[in-house]
Amino acid sequence: MINIPRIAYKNLLRKKTRSVLTVLGIALAAWVLASLLGFNKGYQISLGKDIDNLGYQVLVTAKGCPYEAATLMLKGGTGLRYMNESITDSISAQPEVDKVTPMLMQAVFDPNKGESGGITAYLGIDPATFPQMKGKLPFKEGAWFKASDAYEAVMGYEAAELEQREVGDMLLIPEKNVEVKIVGVLDRTGSQDDGTIFLPLRTVQKVFGMPNELTGIGIKVKKDADIAAFEERMYRLPDVQVVSMTQVKNTIMTLISTAKVMVLSIALIAILIAVVGVVNTILMSVMERRQEIGILKAMGAKARDIFKLIWIETVILCAAGGVVGCAMALGTAKLTEVLIRRLLPYTPSGGLVTIDYSLALFTLGVVTLIGLLSGVYPAWKAGSVRPLETIRSEVE
Amino acid sequence: MKRLILLTTALIAFESSGLMAAVGCDLNDPDRDVKRLFPESTGYKTLYVSIAKKGGEPLLREIEARLGDRFKGLYENIDVPYTMYRIYKGADVIGYIHGVNQKGHYGGIQVFLALDLEGTIKAFYVQKLTSKGAKAFRDEAFGRGFTGLGLKDFFRYDPVSGKETPPGKIGAIRNPAPESADDFAAILRAVKKNLILVDEFLLVNMHLHYFKSAGGPKP
Repeated sequence: MINIPRIAYKNLLRKKTRSVLTVLGIALAAWVLASLLGFNKGYQISLGKDIDNLGYQVLVTAKGCPYEAATLMLKGGTGLRYMNESITDSISAQPEVDKVTPMLMQAVFDPNKGESGGITAYLGIDPATFPQMKGKLPFKEGAWFKASDAYEAVMGYEAAELEQREVGDMLLIPEKNVEVKIVGVLDRTGSQDDGTIFLPLRTVQKVFGMPNELTGIGIKVKKDADIAAFEERMYRLPDVQVVSMTQVKNTIMTLISTAKVMVLSIALIAILIAVVGVVNTILMSVMERRQEIGILKAMGAKARDIFKLIWIETVILCAAGGVVGCAMALGTAKLTEVLIRRLLPYTPSGGLVTIDYSLALFTLGVVTLIGLLSGVYPAWKAGSVRPLETIRSEVE
Repeated sequence: MKRLILLTTALIAFESSGLMAAVGCDLNDPDRDVKRLFPESTGYKTLYVSIAKKGGEPLLREIEARLGDRFKGLYENIDVPYTMYRIYKGADVIGYIHGVNQKGHYGGIQVFLALDLEGTIKAFYVQKLTSKGAKAFRDEAFGRGFTGLGLKDFFRYDPVSGKETPPGKIGAIRNPAPESADDFAAILRAVKKNLILVDEFLLVNMHLHYFKSAGGPKP
């Protein structure tokens, strides 16, 4: 009994260099494809986590007010706008709202920061609601302040490192000349919290002379709530601006989609080149073995046996290339991540390229399928060889 | 609304990417600061070093022994990356600039020294300081008190007691903000640490003999 896969395998070994180069071409295409799909998956997961780490899905601020410390820095610590605390109650009364947390951001100019001074920002938060909304923020040491009017502070990892602060140390608020005690230092989160100095809300209101004023309100919406309808209602509130974190996420994904389309195009081109390479290799092999195929047919081999033989050769090449490519993608995922981080202007924290076994199997499946399709023509060509013609050409 | 979302996106991008950077002690504006500290310079090269990479635990112990104090706290450790600037005039090296982070009473202090090829202080610069005496410590007159000093002077200064034995040039430096004695002591410790690190990393321990002649490490 003739074992066709075994013969196909042996045939490939007869031209080792050519087979290896073909496998390598397919492997590169599979590598690009797996890395791209892994990037797509990893980026979405990490971005989602970053947005979730903010703790709230909707942020309401006074119209025109910078709502992030970075904005405040860009504006040189100016341009803050305020809302009265009473708005918190009206937002809480909305049926879609699960939790709200009021915030007050303030900034001071520190003339002793660098050559020409710098801005230091403080975020006043409500210790009763903010930690709950943020979930479990990891602490390097210490814990949240308990009282809303305590002269205490919690520092993000980077902020504490820059100021060399530890629990028990004092922190001076320049301009105000007010001392606060550090009661907690957060562990690195990779989010904006790393650079933030948190103070109790009432303390910030008192120190900066802003009683009952807020710069932002974080809103967590109930699980089954219609966020779109809720946001639409919020937009209608006068003198406030509403920032939807879902929209922020979608916008980042849209911005990044251009890059993804480009990389996908490159992957498709790589796959096309690989397919042409496979067809070329197998066709050459068929041409070289025309007499051999003719003799096989003269000995009783049917057209479908020859078709099967050549087809299996193609599939072996593609499957081997797929396996090597997936292994390369798994092995170089970290390197790919480093390169992407250098290339893209914004990358979320966490893993950027997530290549798991299901993705590797999917890539292998795609490459094998491509092998099956690209093998049809050479296999048909081989199957349609006429034995008498080939033997005669040998004699001539 | 689209504008708002785009702005938020850009800001989150700006903020997150900025926060990923490691907190070391770099000049805020190297091009400007190098020219200010070395007006005759024509260029500089940035070198990145760390105790962990250069010599590990034994080197840390040696530096601590020379300093006369242990590295303290969460942020003064073997892994701290140090940025050193080698200053050029044409093809010739004319000096070095190096800054260190030092824990002060209210916050981190960044002390930079401009040094000549012998490790002698040409200029002293406090880049960042949170202190009630900040203005006095950043005053040029205070900085001038360090000019001409080096490890040959600082090796006798004990940062733990804050004394120089026998009294010499370091003891003669006057604290311009007596209400911030902690920060004054922190600045002196930072200068000594800075000089030792430059000696270890750039000057092939040119001044180690001072330390050895003083009896080496304390028992």
